[in-house]
Amino acid sequence: MSAAPMDDRAESIRMIRDSAAAVAPPGGELKRVRDLRFQDPGFDAGVFRQMGEMGWIGLRLPEALGGAGLGLGEACALAEELGAGLVPEPLIPAMLSAGLLAAAGGKGALPVLLAGEVVVLTAWQEHPDTLEVPGTPDASRRFLPMAAGADFFLVPQQEGGRLALYELSAARSAVTVERTQDGGNLGMLTPNLREATKLADDIGPALAEALDEAALLTGAYLLGGMERAFAMTLDYLRTRQQFGRIIGTFQALQHRAADVKMQIALTRASIESAAAALDAGASGDARRAAVSRAKARAADAAMRVTRECIQLHGGIGYTDQYDVGLYLRKAMVLTNQYGSAALHRRRFMAVSPKVEE
Amino acid sequence: MDAIRIPAPQELDGLDDEHFRQVVRAFLHENYPEELRNPPKRLHWSENRPWYMKLAEKGWLCPGWPKEYGGLGLSPAKQIILTEEYERYGVARTNDHGIVMLGPLVIKYGTEAQKRFFLPKILTGEHIWCQGYSEPNAGSDLAALRTEAVLDGDHYVVNGQKIWTTLAMDANWIFLLVRTDKQAKKQEGISFLLVDMKTPGITVRPIINLEMHDEFCETFFDNVRVPKENLVGQLNKGWDMAKALLGFERIFLGSPRQSGYALSRLKLLAERMGCWEDAEFQDRYARLRLEFEDLKALFGVYVEKLKRGESLGPDVSMLKVIQTELFQKITDCMLEIAGENAGLLEPMEGNRDLNIGGLFIQARPASIYGGSNEIQRNILSKNVLGLPG
Repeated sequence: MSAAPMDDRAESIRMIRDSAAAVAPPGGELKRVRDLRFQDPGFDAGVFRQMGEMGWIGLRLPEALGGAGLGLGEACALAEELGAGLVPEPLIPAMLSAGLLAAAGGKGALPVLLAGEVVVLTAWQEHPDTLEVPGTPDASRRFLPMAAGADFFLVPQQEGGRLALYELSAARSAVTVERTQDGGNLGMLTPNLREATKLADDIGPALAEALDEAALLTGAYLLGGMERAFAMTLDYLRTRQQFGRIIGTFQALQHRAADVKMQIALTRASIESAAAALDAGASGDARRAAVSRAKARAADAAMRVTRECIQLHGGIGYTDQYDVGLYLRKAMVLTNQYGSAALHRRRFMAVSPKVEE
Repeated sequence: MDAIRIPAPQELDGLDDEHFRQVVRAFLHENYPEELRNPPKRLHWSENRPWYMKLAEKGWLCPGWPKEYGGLGLSPAKQIILTEEYERYGVARTNDHGIVMLGPLVIKYGTEAQKRFFLPKILTGEHIWCQGYSEPNAGSDLAALRTEAVLDGDHYVVNGQKIWTTLAMDANWIFLLVRTDKQAKKQEGISFLLVDMKTPGITVRPIINLEMHDEFCETFFDNVRVPKENLVGQLNKGWDMAKALLGFERIFLGSPRQSGYALSRLKLLAERMGCWEDAEFQDRYARLRLEFEDLKALFGVYVEKLKRGESLGPDVSMLKVIQTELFQKITDCMLEIAGENAGLLEPMEGNRDLNIGGLFIQARPASIYGGSNEIQRNILSKNVLGLPG
């Protein structure tokens, strides 16, 4: 490969990072995020529309379908920036739905979804902590992120050994929502497909791929949160004084900060190499192994890092008014979304190639 | 439960230990409000007042105080039994700073007038106390506190800010560590002062914590005039008195109860999530369970010491570190097996025993309060192991 395309790629990733500043202020101002917490729908429909206008919802779709045609490298960089700013709008679930609608030939709500005018959530999950989509007719679909603000649901359903895809208006659906620790919500949908429009006969392979991408992007979002929480913690270690010293001079704390850094470095390496592998065309087991490695790492590291950031802050870290706790609460919600660390470790072992010696 | 006669309060200290334990159980069964068992959050005065007043009415409020001051006069061994049974029954903490901290301090160091004035008012619930020790810049390094009290005629004038004043909004009195000599070495210029919360110049501001609960407060003092007879003990000896008060109660920071409670909830959750039978989970649970059993055994070693009348050394810090970190490991495990339920704000399926995120968050500050685990490890390395530096 020549040097030029690499530079183009780095430039493309840099640009997407810069553009994220439109909704996730680089200074880490979280007032908007705080104001949306524990309210319905838990996010700002205006900001979601802005995401559409910037081309983020269709970031991964081919230009022919109204997308931006960008890779997972760009998508992960964007998710990371949004994670740093704890942006609550359901971009990752919306990108998943966009992928399905594209696979269904660009039907249904795709144009309005790409424009950010409607929120479309895919109701694929029947059990906690899974990536399997049984598509059981009439089964309730659970854990729909930010369901309180959904306009449409996509419902995969088993028909003749394949997964058909239906689109359902939220206004005609029975949805119950529960609040989450980060101030958002998770919904349960009892689908009534008599009210639904069938969009495709066989969405299974596209859905498996979309779930993998969502898992990887969730890992990237967690990575951004870890970086910001750690940056706040380093600032604190550099300024807080006790016993007449800056507490960052205590070796015990220095070592723990170094341990946190290593977790973040491993997570970044894992996410970025997975994104690169998928962008280079990894498919099947190779794709699953790369994604599972990254999500397993990110899920564990996010909890470890945010917990440690609270502890290194001491009492102030346990207050709601101090921002570092918001990162812990977000990690609690996302650590198991699109598969827990344990699930991804199991999947990695099931599909991974032999250890290279 | 078979009728166990509950003896008069003054007879309790004379019972043998096993009999005493049965009496405590019967007492709780008879008197403790069912709806207050195992509350998910620290209760406010408005919520725990009925139980406090019931204890007061029965004469059981102050187990550790000598009988002559209205206490039960229980030995440390019996107090531990009492606490074990309270914990087992899921008894909520009351606004107990007067009972546990201020009362014993006044009994040990107060004047006769102070004893006559303050102790009865704790026993009747008229005075509810809170503790003003920590400050924004004096947490782990408590002796660096800067809230000062300056003598002006018959009053001390107090200026400064306290933080983490637990349930200050419920209290009508506060006991303070204040700086009374800025020239002395930092531990030697601190005094102990009792302040009526109604005194002009005091502002209490609740702090919402990660449980979304207002358990703690900031308390501000702006030219607060305190009668000089509210000084306890000698001027500039407040630090030594406060330290002397950290007696055998330190053992309770290492009580295995929280971990035991969390382990039983982890099992329930594992059964609900369908992973209880998994070999991988069983191994993990077994590790946690064995650590719990070993902690119980270690805790027992210290209980036995107290029963023999020995005092606790700095090595008791081990209990606090082991218990709080075990509690955290158990709630980490809950989060990891709960799938998407890990992120719910309320208990899963409306079942209080499946309060996954709530318990996980509750476990976070355990390693911070009561002397952070970093401070406990400093104590262990310096005062127990004798390492230099």
